[in-house]
Amino acid sequence: MIIYTNEGNPLGLQLLMLAKFAKQAVKVQLVNLNDAKFKDLLVLPTLELDNGLRLFSPSAIAKYLLVDEGQLRDEWLEWSATLLAPALAHHMAVGHKADANALPVLNALVKKLDDNLKATPYLAGNKLTAADIAVWSLLAPEGTLKGAQNVESLRDWYGRVKALPEVQEVLSEQPLKDLSFNALQQSNRYGGLHHVPLKRLSLADAGKLLVDTTPTVADTVTDEEISAAQAAFTYTAPKEVKEERTILPKPGQRNVLITSALPYVNNVPHLGNIIGCVLSADIFARYSRSAGYNTLLICGTDEYGTATENKALAENLTPREICDKYFELHNSIYRWFGIGFDYFGRTTTQEQTDIVQEAFKDVLSAGYIIKESVEQLLCQKCDRFLADRFVEGTCPHPGCGYEDARGDQCDKCGKLVNATELIRPRCKVCNSAPVIRSSDQLFIDLPKAEPQLKDWVDKSEGGWTNNAKVITRAWLKEGLKPRCITRDLKWGIPVPHKGFEKKVFYVWFDAPFGYVSMTKRYTKEYQQWWQPAKGTDVELFQFMAKDNVPFHSVVWPSILLAVNKGHTLVSHIMATEYLNYEDGKFSKSRGIGVFGNDAQETGIPADVWRFYLASARPEGQDSSFSWNDLAARNNSELLNNLGNFVNRALVFCEKNFNSTVPEVALTQDELILLALINRELKGYINSMEKAKLRDGIRHLLAVSRHGNGYMQTQQPWVLLKGSDEQKKRAATIIGLSANIACLLANLLFPYMPTTARTLFSQLNAKQTPLNAEKPLATLLLPAGHKIGKPAPLFAKLEQAFIDELKGKYGGAQESKASPNTQTSAADLEKAVAAQADKVRQLKASTKDKAQWQPEVNKLLDLKKQLEEAKKTAPASTAAPASAPTNGSQSVKDLEKAIQEQGDKVRKLKGSTKDKSVWQPEVDVLLGLKKQLEAAQKAAKEAPASAPPAPAPSSAANPAQVKALEDKIALQGEKVRTLKASGDASVWKPEVDILLALKNELAALTGAPAAGGQGKGKKKK
Amino acid sequence: MCDVATVQKIAHCLGVNPGKVQLNEEQVVTRTSGQKKTVAGFATILESLAKESKSETAQNSKVSREVEAQVYQWIEFSVLYVAPGSKDKHVSKQLLSDFNKLFASKSYLVGHFITLADLAVYYAIYDLVKSLSPVDKEAYLNLSRWFDHLQNRPDIHQGETLLNFTTIYLHGWATGTHI
Repeated sequence: MIIYTNEGNPLGLQLLMLAKFAKQAVKVQLVNLNDAKFKDLLVLPTLELDNGLRLFSPSAIAKYLLVDEGQLRDEWLEWSATLLAPALAHHMAVGHKADANALPVLNALVKKLDDNLKATPYLAGNKLTAADIAVWSLLAPEGTLKGAQNVESLRDWYGRVKALPEVQEVLSEQPLKDLSFNALQQSNRYGGLHHVPLKRLSLADAGKLLVDTTPTVADTVTDEEISAAQAAFTYTAPKEVKEERTILPKPGQRNVLITSALPYVNNVPHLGNIIGCVLSADIFARYSRSAGYNTLLICGTDEYGTATENKALAENLTPREICDKYFELHNSIYRWFGIGFDYFGRTTTQEQTDIVQEAFKDVLSAGYIIKESVEQLLCQKCDRFLADRFVEGTCPHPGCGYEDARGDQCDKCGKLVNATELIRPRCKVCNSAPVIRSSDQLFIDLPKAEPQLKDWVDKSEGGWTNNAKVITRAWLKEGLKPRCITRDLKWGIPVPHKGFEKKVFYVWFDAPFGYVSMTKRYTKEYQQWWQPAKGTDVELFQFMAKDNVPFHSVVWPSILLAVNKGHTLVSHIMATEYLNYEDGKFSKSRGIGVFGNDAQETGIPADVWRFYLASARPEGQDSSFSWNDLAARNNSELLNNLGNFVNRALVFCEKNFNSTVPEVALTQDELILLALINRELKGYINSMEKAKLRDGIRHLLAVSRHGNGYMQTQQPWVLLKGSDEQKKRAATIIGLSANIACLLANLLFPYMPTTARTLFSQLNAKQTPLNAEKPLATLLLPAGHKIGKPAPLFAKLEQAFIDELKGKYGGAQESKASPNTQTSAADLEKAVAAQADKVRQLKASTKDKAQWQPEVNKLLDLKKQLEEAKKTAPASTAAPASAPTNGSQSVKDLEKAIQEQGDKVRKLKGSTKDKSVWQPEVDVLLGLKKQLEAAQKAAKEAPASAPPAPAPSSAANPAQVKALEDKIALQGEKVRTLKASGDASVWKPEVDILLALKNELAALTGAPAAGGQGKGKKKK
Repeated sequence: MCDVATVQKIAHCLGVNPGKVQLNEEQVVTRTSGQKKTVAGFATILESLAKESKSETAQNSKVSREVEAQVYQWIEFSVLYVAPGSKDKHVSKQLLSDFNKLFASKSYLVGHFITLADLAVYYAIYDLVKSLSPVDKEAYLNLSRWFDHLQNRPDIHQGETLLNFTTIYLHGWATGTHI
């Protein structure tokens, strides 16, 4: 028999034990599921029997290899595989997969085991069965029972099983310390057992039986790691680094040029855009600078093209004015997010025109330009050629048929589309069908550049993200085609070629040169970066979302290769996948999602946004923005993990050591801690060098988690009250913790620059360069160093606040519902007063802006609402209120409202097919129509049912008549109100009462019953 | 679909009285039948049902020890991977492609006949398959074939409306424009 398993897989132990008890010889083969040879294996470990049959379920294997041992055993086998194993996998998970709920669940499961073993010596009775093997083999690997309390029966059973000769034999071949539940992640293609939800309802008073098992990683530290940690932990006075005014590449040094995809000027960037390029580029640039590389970060807005022209038309401004306006918007958003560009420029500069026109002439003279007549879509209604993004239609690719495919690409199937091939094309602006016209255009001959490009891709793609490789390979596999680089527009760079004076370059020809022209705006020596001299190496890192990859990996490099003037070509394409908003897409038009300026309005600090976005960065696969996740990460990772550790370390130092860092005398405990931290530090550096920003955060947080664990086990607060010897220990612990806090500030800086600076000032320390060659923790704060004043770094995000934000940015439905729930001006005034009091109190009690800012925002919001309410108050009483009980509404007003609403609905239906957008408006319209119907009926009845003024007969008792009249008036009012609401079955009985009353009155006064009631009136 | 309903459906397929099916304090499904005998755990319950059943599916599921072991492992797979994994975007994609690959060369999960393994996976994957678009269903053609074949058996669909696996799908082309 053969066991196929992966390294460290704890379930492999179970199979080895089963085989041993079944007296079968087995061979173990370690496999990697990514290996094509093993593509048929579904789950590891898999046992291959001598007859070739493969089984991957340990329970099935147990039942097959060992004889039937009864139903109880089978139940335990299933229990261990479906409850115990997933709970252990959750409990042992580290990093972002760690789940605090796993421990209580596991405690409940362990309690059940203990309770059962109190009754019988083995799980399924008096004899050892496969059930015992299964459960034992799950508990053994991570030392789950180490330190567990009140589980004597379980411990006793554990010891008895362990002592069996078969078990001893297996353990001698397979040491427990090599096994880890984290290996399950590589045991299948589903990411381990993480998708199995913990069964949460079974927590009934299991209490605390197990200890937190994280410290067991300490057992894995080797002697080499210990001695390396010890040797490195020394103090070197930091060198003064002179900051140069202009950063230029230097021969013999590492020179890193970083660009972020140029955001299109008209779009307000959303969180996905921000993490996709600018923020990722900034975090990487900050790391690169702190690792001591010559680093230049360039970005800017992409401003030419039809979209700008169009927007200008819509806003009645010139394209230049539009660009100026939106450039400022971009600039302010990025500034708020703390993006530290060395230069943030724009493409509408003279430098850009010069560089692009020169490059064009070079490409032309190198023979890479072809002229061809092109069929283009002309919208006769708008009188212009339609750029790709202004045509929509049905996707022409067989099997897709997506109706809203864009002129350049189909969002559904992802394939590229030629605008003229769209089925039933329509102009995106006016919705009319365009016609095809031909005009001369210039093309870049990509097929001619293909051989050189292929060579270059082969050499360079090693440093690209996987999606960049895949996309580029797909393009090359399909074969390159000539690409049109000119357009019939006005807003662009003029084409310097005879016969093309009225045309401009296509944005994708000019935009990438923006990187060069912006560098030229930054320094006259820009060629040192873009066409470096021999002997100077420049590495170009380009950050973008995956949709931009082809232009950076195929089109632009082809142009530069055609130019052949030694341009710097991209060595690292860092492409992200997409970020979704709460499992949907960001949509500006529908108001779904958080856009750059919204983030600012939430009152959540920019650094927290940076941290969250980096930790949710869509690396490898799409990820989602979620408000709950944002709050959870802020509260659990920043506040409880990182913030808690740093603050405890510094406050202890301030209170007990007079703000002076004490002497650190390393013992074995400290060395193990340092060795573990060095592991994470190495992971951090490795991740950051490859711009794997998500992993970087994971390692950073692991450092502070180690720090927290260390403090928790050492308990310096107890030692401080003890003997002199113990006080000395406490000094070491606090001194080391302060140093780890300083290390954390350095690691945190790329992600959260403002927070890191605050922490540095609390530490009274400067940033220390990271040593990427030798990533080992050093003594950063020597004994005697005076620290500053510690203060909490992070504030808690309350669930109520998060729920509020969730509603606010959740989409159009929410904003439409609000007018209906509009409260009266008086109520609002009260609310404003109450909120103002709350804010005053808060501001008086704390200086922490993060705490009172949300409340202030609420107050401002309320004030705005109040203003609105006051403005609309006189109008709203006259205007058709939506309340159906309001019967006094005039028919005329309603008719007007219906007409308006009808127009609105027609317009909406014309502009979008999305039913969810127009349906609410249709509902409003229908509601209005119903009201009108009711009002019309009421109006007709009103004169008829008006109480008559009968001449009271002298014989009648005036008081009696008065009482009856009052009763009739009341009942009449009731009937009218009810009729307005429509349902005959409701108002009919009331009408009968009214008639009876009137008859009574008539009898009393001798006058005929009230005129008209019931006659000539159409019944419904 | 929850475990309780699935057990009841499968009992019906096998022509066995399911008895009382409910969740215990650990949220594990249990079955109490005839002589107050209680069985806990989805896979173990299915085995007990098969023991009582004379149906073709039950007989197929225990023709040999090898078949029994394989049937069991797929039932466990449906509990551990298919049911919870269907709710996860990435896991469900992998599951669909794995099953699609598997059914490229076989008509049933175990051997050449329908077994309990098919039933367990069918009910566990039902909601996921239901959520697929026609294009997706076409992409997982082998899985779709297996699923469609099973759902057409009256003992399996039990009166539920059948999912649509027609490959000529008109609705993509014929939706009207609202003006």
